[in-house]
Amino acid sequence: MIEIKNLSKRFGEIKAVKDLSFTVKEHEILGFLGPNGAGKTTTMSMLTGCLPPTKGSIAVNGYDIVKNPIEVKKSIGYLPEIPPVYTDMKVLEYLKFVAGIKKVPKEKIPQEIKYASNKLKITDIEKRLIKNLSKGYKQRVGFAGALLGRPKVLIFDEPTVGLDPNQILEVRTLIKELKSAHTIILSSHILAEITAVCDSALIISKGEMKAYDTIENLTATQSLEDVFVQLTKSK
Amino acid sequence: MTALYKKDLASYFYSPFAYAVCGLFMLVFSLSFVYGLSGITSLEFKFSFPDVFYNNFYYFIFIIPMLTMKSFAEERKTGTETLLFSSPISISSIVSAKFLAVSTVFGLMIALSLIYPTVTAVVGGVSVSRLICSYIGFICMGLFCISVGLLASSLTDNPIIAAAIGEGAMLILLFADFLSGTSFIRSNNILSFIFFWFSTRRRFDKFTLGVFSLSDVVFYLTGIAVVLIWIIIFMARRRDRRGK
Repeated sequence: MIEIKNLSKRFGEIKAVKDLSFTVKEHEILGFLGPNGAGKTTTMSMLTGCLPPTKGSIAVNGYDIVKNPIEVKKSIGYLPEIPPVYTDMKVLEYLKFVAGIKKVPKEKIPQEIKYASNKLKITDIEKRLIKNLSKGYKQRVGFAGALLGRPKVLIFDEPTVGLDPNQILEVRTLIKELKSAHTIILSSHILAEITAVCDSALIISKGEMKAYDTIENLTATQSLEDVFVQLTKSK
Repeated sequence: MTALYKKDLASYFYSPFAYAVCGLFMLVFSLSFVYGLSGITSLEFKFSFPDVFYNNFYYFIFIIPMLTMKSFAEERKTGTETLLFSSPISISSIVSAKFLAVSTVFGLMIALSLIYPTVTAVVGGVSVSRLICSYIGFICMGLFCISVGLLASSLTDNPIIAAAIGEGAMLILLFADFLSGTSFIRSNNILSFIFFWFSTRRRFDKFTLGVFSLSDVVFYLTGIAVVLIWIIIFMARRRDRRGK
């Protein structure tokens, strides 16, 4: 479903991402692990077409992101770390707008909004202004936006940051539920989250891939925490 | 593109902002209109509106950056730019939608201003040809200023700075004409030609005098297209440097 080959990103002299290569199969949840500043968000941005790579290729759902960016973007639902919501809009207006820019067919928009609102349990706040919502609800609205059009691939960048423990559990359960219909990449530096939700994990540090395997293999001899610390500690 | 256009247009009316800007525009237009009327000495005078448009012009171009300042800068500041860049719409569609949204608010201002010639036509006479020419000039100049304001907004993530850059650009547009008349510029044939040719105000003045020139319309349209293309290039370059 997702095929990354030799992906690199340079910002002048700084190499933010170096030669990443990995594949994500259909209905797999890949955990993207790394300390702060490791290059997770840069990689996510490249995967979603927000940032062009300096080198390498990204293919999603059979489409190359450079040759066919529109088709790739149609296949992806993206929830960045800060939910991209317009605070002066009402929730329903926002979801209609997102469905519009994601080119969801007009006749399908109401049912798509219903599906996403039900999944995120936001049906009762549809008429409220986003600026009046709590951080958790804003996150849910952003999440619902990513689900609209039911894209084959979902990419979540630290989706549980700033949420309370109940909300974190709800988000994790939801991500697991979504697995049956989507391929998911989940970025996080919360190890328990990756262990609880993901099938495989990719650990990066300073832009380089340090490990890429299934959760079972990574945790066969030691805990994920030990693996993570060993691979990412500064020398 | 339609969804973004509708969202941007609606965003002007979520707050009293667009109403206040339209109100300010109408206030300036009304004062200019009353000033114009007070100069009428004969009952058979045909009101041509050139003075109204001419006076309004100086205030109007400083209203434009207020309308355009948030267009790109706010998206970048709040992080919603990520949503646009990760959606299946091209940068040119984003720029076109934003340009059309501001242009629609401008169109509303133009539509509101029609009340003056209509009232004048009912109770007196209006020189229709000069009125149409003035409107064409005003619309062309307005759209050009909108594109320049959007360019200013695309350069920063702070709407206030975008407004300041926009106001500066408008001042330059105004003063370019005055500069072309200085002895330093006039002493240099090439500079003099450049300043004269690129003067937007000189072309606007011709319209208010009732002179319709296709070359002036083409000049404005080309100017708008060039500035919009610059915005697309700036946006693409900015996207490429995100995270730097």
